[in-house]
Amino acid sequence: MDLGFKGKVALVTGAGSQIGFGKEIALLLVREGCDAVAVTDINIDDCNKTADEIKKLGKKSIAVKADITNPQDVDALVKKVIDEYKRIDILCNVAGGIASRVPYDKSKPEDWDKDVRLNLYSIMLMCQAVLPYMKEKKSGSIVNIGSGSTRMYAHGAGNTYAISKAGVDTFTKQLAFNEAKNGIRCNCVAPGPAPTNFIPGPDKQGMIDMLAKTIPMGRGATQADIANATAFFASDMSGYVTGQVLHVSGGSVLD
Amino acid sequence: MDLGFKGKTALVTGAGSQKGFGREIALLLAKEGCDAVAVTDIIDDVQKTADDIKKIGSKSIAVKADITKKAEVDEMVKKVLDEYGKIDILCNVAGAILHKDYVPLDEQKYETWAKQMDLNLFGTMHVTRAVLPQMRKLKNGAIVNIGSGSTHQYSFGVAVYAISKYAIDLFTRQLAYQEGKNGIRCNCIAPGPAPTNFGAVLREGMPPMPPEQAEKMRENMLAAFPLGRMGTPADIANITIIMASDVTNYITGQVIQVSGGNVME
Repeated sequence: MDLGFKGKVALVTGAGSQIGFGKEIALLLVREGCDAVAVTDINIDDCNKTADEIKKLGKKSIAVKADITNPQDVDALVKKVIDEYKRIDILCNVAGGIASRVPYDKSKPEDWDKDVRLNLYSIMLMCQAVLPYMKEKKSGSIVNIGSGSTRMYAHGAGNTYAISKAGVDTFTKQLAFNEAKNGIRCNCVAPGPAPTNFIPGPDKQGMIDMLAKTIPMGRGATQADIANATAFFASDMSGYVTGQVLHVSGGSVLD
Repeated sequence: MDLGFKGKTALVTGAGSQKGFGREIALLLAKEGCDAVAVTDIIDDVQKTADDIKKIGSKSIAVKADITKKAEVDEMVKKVLDEYGKIDILCNVAGAILHKDYVPLDEQKYETWAKQMDLNLFGTMHVTRAVLPQMRKLKNGAIVNIGSGSTHQYSFGVAVYAISKYAIDLFTRQLAYQEGKNGIRCNCIAPGPAPTNFGAVLREGMPPMPPEQAEKMRENMLAAFPLGRMGTPADIANITIIMASDVTNYITGQVIQVSGGNVME
């Protein structure tokens, strides 16, 4: 299936981690034909590696260091990408993480703040900065990475993370509704557990395999699972799909 | 994106209507590389769909069947399995709105309720039940059901239909949960309004109105859609075959609304 990415420019946040969703998404967008994929991360050394791999595939890329919880950084990042490629057709908001592991009953507003800033405000800032350029073209596709944790209840650490990601779900829908008239779509891919840096410790796959016993499909998510769904939503092949939250979690989340 | 359809056999129900989702899905499965796409419907036109699939270069048979009749479904599925040896992909598209009298839910005749459930829910369940045993043997399979945006978009006159389609959502989830361990996935695509036969049935039930008024009504309706247009059979076919393919190998039990932002729950 031709995803129609020829001539398109994408921006992927959180593309530094070499075992993360962001890098996998960026590379898939390139393999499927995007002209240029700009990548950003707070960790610029790793992000440069991702950009180098994109260029090895024969496509254009720049890596930009940015702390996307900071409005100035976000504006500078988007300006740089626009200066370089003149447009952003696809925005994949991947950056995020568990910022506070303090259980909710012991946590303070400062702890909540960390999660909400990293996971929700960052995506809102990115969208605010990119939207004017999409509106100009009357076209654009935004894919946010949500989380299965919004529907999978767990004790202790990670509660505020889940709450911040539920905000991403609602932000996705509000944005989809508001921007549809401008030809801009916005959807959310909500991953189940995968062996990324999200899982602490060295034996990430081991942890996932343990969790897998409770997953109907009997395995954890892979980076490719998430990238495939994200690329499809980013493409015109899903031109009539907007405001949707798609759980990619092997049946762990069913409603 | 290679959808990995080489070597795969699909069965698409409701593939007779020449402007419906089923035909569009069947043809797209063939274009994207399925070895064989079997099609079924209660109407003769299903043969035309099979002929068009063969023109694309995939194998196809058309089997006429009334999916509300268990015996006919069993025979239809047996015929496909005899022909191709397996079914990797099942697209449950057959369905329709069977009531066009705009009366309140409680005034709808019992027979209408029963017929609507028979077609939209039990029909899908008959076909799925008949296909499952050999998918389990393969330890692999993808089922895509066609649901409806009407489950979340309230309007008078379509309640019984909407209820039957909501049951499809739940059937999708229950089946996904149950069959995950067997490598079988099940998802649901819920279309918004599209220019298929569906709209024509609804219009039949409406009081007659002058063409200008009908056009005005249509414009108002479209203006209220966030994306400002109706869906097309291609919109539905694209996402259906993605969900039928191995690139969505970890997605199961999901209901995806393809309605231009009309439904966001």
